[in-house]
Amino acid sequence: VAQVPVAEGKSVQQTVELLTRKLELLGADKQGAFCVDCETYHTAAATMGAQGQTGKLMYVMHNSEYPLSCFALFENGPCLIADANFDILMVKLKGFFQNAKANKIESRGTRYQYCDFLVKVGTVTMGPSARGIAVEVEYCPCVIANDCWNLLMEFMQSFMGSHTPGIPSVFGTKHDSIYSPADTMVQYMELFNKIRKQQQVPVAGIR
Amino acid sequence: GQQASPFVLRARRALDKGGLPWHLRYLGQPEIGDKSRHALVRNCVDIATSDNLTDFLVEMGFRMDHEFVAKGHVFRKGIMKIVVYKIFRILMPGNTDSIEPLSLSYLVELNVVAPAGQDVVSDDMRNFAEQLKPLVHLEKIDPKRLM
Repeated sequence: VAQVPVAEGKSVQQTVELLTRKLELLGADKQGAFCVDCETYHTAAATMGAQGQTGKLMYVMHNSEYPLSCFALFENGPCLIADANFDILMVKLKGFFQNAKANKIESRGTRYQYCDFLVKVGTVTMGPSARGIAVEVEYCPCVIANDCWNLLMEFMQSFMGSHTPGIPSVFGTKHDSIYSPADTMVQYMELFNKIRKQQQVPVAGIR
Repeated sequence: GQQASPFVLRARRALDKGGLPWHLRYLGQPEIGDKSRHALVRNCVDIATSDNLTDFLVEMGFRMDHEFVAKGHVFRKGIMKIVVYKIFRILMPGNTDSIEPLSLSYLVELNVVAPAGQDVVSDDMRNFAEQLKPLVHLEKIDPKRLM
């Protein structure tokens, strides 16, 4: 999962169109839409007590590729894969974990298939505003990241050019371990966190 | 500040079959109007999870209260589930190979998971429980007495 910067002098939507047009010229087929979203929960003040713990942030994410699942994760911590009832549990836990609704962020866009690759070009939005572009590329036949990284990189260069990312840190230490959907969600969480911290794209005509 | 009663979650996994998801369950307080019913009724949320559940719960701020191994048999009659099992104490935390029985007796538990509002289910449970007498006397439990 990588962030593609907005093209010089263009809007988020125009840059997304440039990317999708390149993919279509390569011969990729549109295959529906996708959505990955992320909600932020923080430990309620009442539960901190005398222990002096700093509040923790927990992310609860959903991915349309896995419609029956829910992913819950902590930054630099474990990622739990659960079924959709986890969302109901979070409602029961609202005395302990508060949903920072304003922080909800999502990447939404079109799914493309090109031979054995699956590409998703998403507009990242927080509330009503478009904050950036997230591109997810998957090489479907392979489950060990190290074995296909070079191939992935070569494919990405054909439509992302100089914006092709380096190997994601989630594959850093565990070169030969088997890929899991949690690896994708961690990358989205890191990308969303980065986008949240970025300055909002200035709007022309601010008085 | 102190919470009135701690939030309890139950994490369970199969020891006899590998590769199955862990099971997380939340059971709410007994519902109001419960006294007239023949069975204990509680709100229930069941969640299947990946096998890093206990690490994740600790990260959320939960701490383990107790753990045990249960071995026995599961029977079904329609939506009713009857479990006949022995409880084993775990001698070293997290090590399920070193266990000893808590008692020589088996525990018999009759439970049903049903959509909200289907109170008539408790009548079916009472009727079934009657059939197990005098071999087993199934009683409605009071969770407050056990805490």
